[in-house]
Amino acid sequence: MNQSRNYESIIRANRRTFLSRGGLGLGALALGTLLDRDAVGQRRTASLASSRLAGLPHLKPRAKRVIFLCMAGGPSHLETFDYKPQLARMNGLPMPESFTRGEPIAQLQGVELKCQGPMCRFQQHGVNGQTISDFLPWQAKVADELCIVRSMVTEQINHDPAHTFMNTGSAINGRPSMGAWVNYGLGSESDDFPGFVVLTSVGGRNPQPIASRQWSAGFLPSRYQGVEFNAAGDPVHYLQSPAGVNLVRQRELVQTIQHLDRHRNQQVGDGEVDTRIAAYEMAFRMQTSVPELMDVSGEPQSVLDMYGAEPGDGSFASNCLLARRLAERGVRFIHLYHRGWDHHGDLIRYMNTCCELTDKPTWALLSDLKQRGMLDDTLIIWGGEFGRTPMVQHKGSQPGRDHHIKGFSMWLAGGGARGGVTYGETDELGYNAVKDVVHVRDLHATMLHLLGINHERFSVPYQGLDMRLTGVESARIVEELLS
Amino acid sequence: MDDFGGQGLPPDHPQLLDRLALELIESGWDVKSMVKLIVSSKTYRQSSGVRNNRGSEGQGVLSELESMDPENRLFARQSHYRLPAELVRDAVLSISGLLVDEYGGASVKPYQPAGYYRHLNFPERKYKQHNDRRQWRRGVYVHWQRQFLHPMLKAFDAPRREECTAERPRSNTPTAAMALLNDPRFVEAARVFAEQILRIDDQSRTDTAGLEYAFRKAVSRSPDPEELHTLTLLLESHRRQYAKTPGAARELIAIGQAPVARDLDPVQLAAWTSVTRTILNLNETITRN
Repeated sequence: MNQSRNYESIIRANRRTFLSRGGLGLGALALGTLLDRDAVGQRRTASLASSRLAGLPHLKPRAKRVIFLCMAGGPSHLETFDYKPQLARMNGLPMPESFTRGEPIAQLQGVELKCQGPMCRFQQHGVNGQTISDFLPWQAKVADELCIVRSMVTEQINHDPAHTFMNTGSAINGRPSMGAWVNYGLGSESDDFPGFVVLTSVGGRNPQPIASRQWSAGFLPSRYQGVEFNAAGDPVHYLQSPAGVNLVRQRELVQTIQHLDRHRNQQVGDGEVDTRIAAYEMAFRMQTSVPELMDVSGEPQSVLDMYGAEPGDGSFASNCLLARRLAERGVRFIHLYHRGWDHHGDLIRYMNTCCELTDKPTWALLSDLKQRGMLDDTLIIWGGEFGRTPMVQHKGSQPGRDHHIKGFSMWLAGGGARGGVTYGETDELGYNAVKDVVHVRDLHATMLHLLGINHERFSVPYQGLDMRLTGVESARIVEELLS
Repeated sequence: MDDFGGQGLPPDHPQLLDRLALELIESGWDVKSMVKLIVSSKTYRQSSGVRNNRGSEGQGVLSELESMDPENRLFARQSHYRLPAELVRDAVLSISGLLVDEYGGASVKPYQPAGYYRHLNFPERKYKQHNDRRQWRRGVYVHWQRQFLHPMLKAFDAPRREECTAERPRSNTPTAAMALLNDPRFVEAARVFAEQILRIDDQSRTDTAGLEYAFRKAVSRSPDPEELHTLTLLLESHRRQYAKTPGAARELIAIGQAPVARDLDPVQLAAWTSVTRTILNLNETITRN
């Protein structure tokens, strides 16, 4: 059943609502006429983020947008997508030094390293028999859509730098995040929303905050930074008009500001004023569009049940539903963060916690997008900032695993990714990615490629370098991941 | 400013830089005297320039200077740029008369959206807003939480201070627009500003006189006919609307902790608050011209 409500109809509905509630009185006519003259000029002004860079896309895009599902904390690949029977056989035995000698290690420094076998069962799923753990029964149902990569590597072993690395391709602070790059290159499809939206969920265990610099625009213009929509309170800070100021009055105020700015700028010639006027335009539109987005009361109960979302609860499930709605409204890069995957101890217990909150909503998001015919042009990426060690860590009463960067798992789906395949391998103990290694940079290059961007030709001069998301070292597009 | 070194651009005034460097050394490395020297120079005190010669559509024609030197590298005029975050706050508070001008002392905690610190950990923290006059102190005294910088400051590009920021970006984002429009602190300031306007000597106070006063206070000049006309229309429109909804007027003027003037007509005050909110949101108000 096609329930799609396309972007156009949503915008039309917004305008109707506004006008019907507006009731511009006779007295306001004079002001309205004055400000409406501006509306013609407005269309000539470039809107805030909708324009793409000249020359882009370099090639035909497969995906129009990205939804990045970040499992913050680092989910264990060994209990999700990477089954290691040899590790099971060596459970409790010392971890062979040949693997760990001289390698970076996090909290397990100085501890005697022992093997920990997989703490779950794995089964084959889908047409091609994808091996997926029992912790993820719902994702297993859509195994045919998943392009699982088991040979990921990253370079940063602690959370914050690893997030920075995953987001910006560098451990050096101050670089733009993926979402900012993508919006800078392709612009946004929506005038009512920022092109880069971040949703962090509550629920489960959340020991570590995610710093907002993870979605900063770095040295790119600030308007490309991610805007976080909050789960509780005002979705966006200062979104609401002050008490006693309805939409009509706020609208008149905003238009007056824009009119006066434009008028003064004829004399002053400040280049930034056009951007400012567009920023006020979007700010005002968001005052309507964001509440409309967050109001899921119009969704059928069957959809809410599919995600397991309670409106306004700030859960990952609700955020997945919001992600679909954002996708429908033309947002280019939607980044979800669910924390709590940092299982140094009590892994089984916390895997259950995390998977209960994220597994079904992930399935729901994929299925929902597919039903609406949107999966083909929406690239979904799932994974954390790193994986977890084959060696056991005893924090808490039950075994866990430490941070691990030499080999871990992620998956892609939709947007031109090749579903139903597993790519790459780690060694027999799940320590090193050994076959068809995919570096974070390669993931970025591949993602940009699917969006129609040649990562080598997409750069910004800064500090004497032609800065790229994929950096100065080599990065390859992983063709085998493309359908 | 982050571009020093072999790969950066060469300076435009090398002799001036040499001279200033010598001055700095000879002054005994006195940074304050250098600042004073620079800001009292004729160069610094230039105007950022207003265009002459309106074209046929009333557009100012690009002055010769602008076409020759669009980035103002030669400093033949002063540049205009948006004020840094702390000063945006100070400017708004100062215009409204709410700014508390005390020096020194402990950091202050002005209004901040509820629950902003909920993700903070190691340890968890609760934000306790100051409800006395401390809340109107200068921006430099505001409490600095690096990972969770106050949203208004963040919206106006204040750095987190996790690392040295040689030059702040100057962004124009919807987030900043929303902060300046809807932050209760600024709405309150607009209302108090409006109270000032309504208290101008009664005999002379016409709408035009009020707008003149407001403009002079905010941007140090008189409004031109178009500006007067537009703001008058807004004032009249909101007067009409608030006259029909006096409850809304009372809600608006009650925002903030500065005591509400009880002797002023709420409808008038609310309408003028719309005008002052507009003026406080003008580009010119928060720009160093």
